[in-house]
This record gives sequence, structure tokens and C-alpha cells, in this order.
Amino acid sequence: MLKEDFVIQSNLRRLLIRSSIDYSRMDFGTVKGVVYMRGIFQVSLSSKDKEEEKMKNLTINTLYSLEKKVRSIPGVSDVIFQFLNWRKEKGQWIPIDVKTVEAKQREEADENKTESNL
Amino acid sequence: MRTRRNPIYKRILGEIEREVQFHPRYADLQNQFALLWMVEGEMEEAENHFLEALRLNPKYREAILNLGFLHIEMRRWKEAEEIFLSEVKRHPRDGSLHHVLGILYLQAGREKEAAARIHKSIRYHSYYRDYYKKKKVWQKGGVHLHPKAERTLKKTHLNHHYAHFHNFIGLYLAKKGKSAQAVKELRKAARLKPDEFIFHANLGTVYAYQGAYPKAIHEYQKALEIDPFYGLGYANLSYIYGLMRRTHEALRYMKKAVQMNPRYADLHYNLALLYSDRKRYEEAAFELKKALRINPNYLFARINLGVLYEDQKRWKEARREYRKILKVTPDDEHIRKRLERIS
Repeated sequence: MLKEDFVIQSNLRRLLIRSSIDYSRMDFGTVKGVVYMRGIFQVSLSSKDKEEEKMKNLTINTLYSLEKKVRSIPGVSDVIFQFLNWRKEKGQWIPIDVKTVEAKQREEADENKTESNL
Repeated sequence: MRTRRNPIYKRILGEIEREVQFHPRYADLQNQFALLWMVEGEMEEAENHFLEALRLNPKYREAILNLGFLHIEMRRWKEAEEIFLSEVKRHPRDGSLHHVLGILYLQAGREKEAAARIHKSIRYHSYYRDYYKKKKVWQKGGVHLHPKAERTLKKTHLNHHYAHFHNFIGLYLAKKGKSAQAVKELRKAARLKPDEFIFHANLGTVYAYQGAYPKAIHEYQKALEIDPFYGLGYANLSYIYGLMRRTHEALRYMKKAVQMNPRYADLHYNLALLYSDRKRYEEAAFELKKALRINPNYLFARINLGVLYEDQKRWKEARREYRKILKVTPDDEHIRKRLERIS
């Protein structure tokens, strides 16, 4: 299979536009047929009138569907998700508290700063 | 002005009304809401919301122009004239503004001034030369305002509002995934105001969404004919050619997009992918480095750069890039394995 990263990237772009994913806080890239997705994963439906549990299930289903669709793009050999708010463990999608992640990142940055100051 | 009662328009008006209640401080929403009221024939309501949009964002050009057109429709010539004259001061070579002033003066019975403005619109925008030629107003290098042309021209200010209205409805439907209906609305917009590049660009986007790539290319090319400085139009054309696996054309348009928007890291990244796919590694690395200079946290650009060095057996540089990546994402097993393989 010919791996043309730009062709894969164009397909990814179209896939996201056609989906219900809010990709405004997401980045994606392609390296030799391996697709990377990072940032905050959100579905674009308004959550104000949705129950939390329903929203969670909807997001999980969207994540599974996204992975399936990305893998079906010709030339894609693997997908790596590095979302800040969702992680895949043993085949299951698990939500992560973004605030905790951001606080941890800030803490690490502070530690680095202190180390470099020393 | 009042458009034929359409249940879709009515429903969208209701939805926008709810959104305005929820976000009263969004100038964009206020402007769209006003446009819908205007098409409903509720001029005062429309004026209030255009004014609210401008109170929230006094530099909001679309709302300024919409208010000007509303004043023409309400036959408030003085206020309309003030708006368009101040816009002409800012954009003296914008043919469409001179055209609107021509229509305004014609409606106000100021024929001499109307002829002068029409003349200017023809001078600054080739589209209006053809337009007035068709209407037989532009003949033998002069403006001739005959009664039949006057009658048609007097109504043309409405085209602006209807065009923006249909464009808005089209985009709204497209966002809801109703692309066939969206295309209908956007085509109406482009028919009413064929010189507006953004209507063609929006139509191109929806066609691309539908998978109708040749139509999408046609509309983007039209948009770029009208505004050759519309940089993202070249990028979108490039993506469409990418979807068609015609990477030769994709490369040509992405190069142009980068040339027009040299500060967009994402465009440099995509250009690098096109070079790298063609094994033009030096040029690919050059573009990736540019992307990283613009955005040093652009992780994908760094990954691609590392892999590119690896392909060229430049192990030291590849290791350097991978180590930088692992500092940001220590859990990236792919990169860790790549680094181990070349360490």
C-alpha cells in the first residue's frame, strides 16, 4: 500500500469535518502512515441539556467510531491517540480530569524551573 | 422585504432566538438574528439587533454594511449614505461600495451622482463592467441611465441581504449535516451576488464535504478569481486534490497557500508532507523547520522531522528530535521504540 501522508492528512481533515467532533482543540498529524491525534477530545453537541452519563457514553461511542474510520483510510498503518481528557487502556476508553492533567503539567513545569534555577 | 414563508427559515429563526438569549453578547449572533428579522419583514427589530451587534463590536464590517442596506430599504437615504461614504473612505478602490452608492443615489433621485458612482464601480471592479454592460447601462465608454435599467437597478440593493441571508442559512444547514439543503441555499446566495468570493468558497467547502470534488474545485477557483489574495482558498484546493490523490496539483496549490500565509505553521507542515511523499527530503525538512520556528510546540512537525532524518540516515539529528518529543510526551511508545532502534 502506498503511504502518502498528505493524502491521509486530507482524508483525516474531511473525516473530522463530517463528524460530530469538535476538533477546535485537537491537533492531528501523519508520519509514514501512522496517524497522531492530540489535544482535547469533545463531541460538538451542546452539553448543557444532556445528562452527564449520556454524554459520556456518546463520547465513548464517538471515540470508537473515530478510531475505526481513521484505520479504514487507505494507507493508515496505526493510530496513536494522545488526548489530554481521554485515554485508551486495554481496549477501553477512560475519561481523565483535564484540570488534574493541567495542574500536573504546571507542577512539572515549576519543578523544572526550580531545578534549572538550582 | 419579506421572503416566502419557509418552515426551515422559521425554525432557524427560533433556534437563533434561543441562542441569542443564551449568548446576548455575541455580536455575530446579533447580526445573524437581525438578518433573519429583516427577511421576515420586521425592519425595526432588525435595526435594533444590527445596532446591538455594532455596540458589541463597533468595527464589525458585515453588520455596518447590513445596517446601511437596511437604511436603503427603509428609504433613510441620509443614514445609508453616511455609512457607505465612510466605508468608501476606508476602501476607496472597492467597486462594490461605489456600486451601492450608485444604487442609493438612483433611489434618492440624484442621477448625476449615481452615474458618477457607477462609473467608479466599473473602473475599480471588472465584474461591474460586465454587469452594467448586460443591463445596457455601460455603453460606448459612458453610463446611460435609461428608465428600464433604473427600474431594475433600484431593486438590486435587496440582493445583498437575500444573498447574505441564504449564505447564513446554507452554513447553518451545513453545520447540521444537511449538505444537500445547504448547497441549495449557498447557490442562491452566489446567484444573487456572484462577485462575493466567500459564497463560492462556502459552496466549495460543502461540495467537498459531499465528496463532489470537481464541483468543489470549480467553486474554489471562482472564489480565487474574485479574490486572488484568499490564501486559505489555495490550501483548501490543495486538500481537495489530496482527496483525489492528485498530489501534483495539491503541491502547486499548497505552495501558493504558504506563499500567501507564511505565518501559518500548519500550511508549512502540509507542504512538508507533500515534499516528503515525493522524497524531496531537503525541501520537506526546510518546511518542517519553518513550522517549528513559528510554533516550537508543534509536536507532529518534530516527529516528521525526526523520521525524515532517520530516512536520510542522519542518526544524530533524528535522536535529538526524538528526545525532544519524549520530553513532552514521555508515554509515546512509537517514538521510544524509534529512538531505541537508532541509539
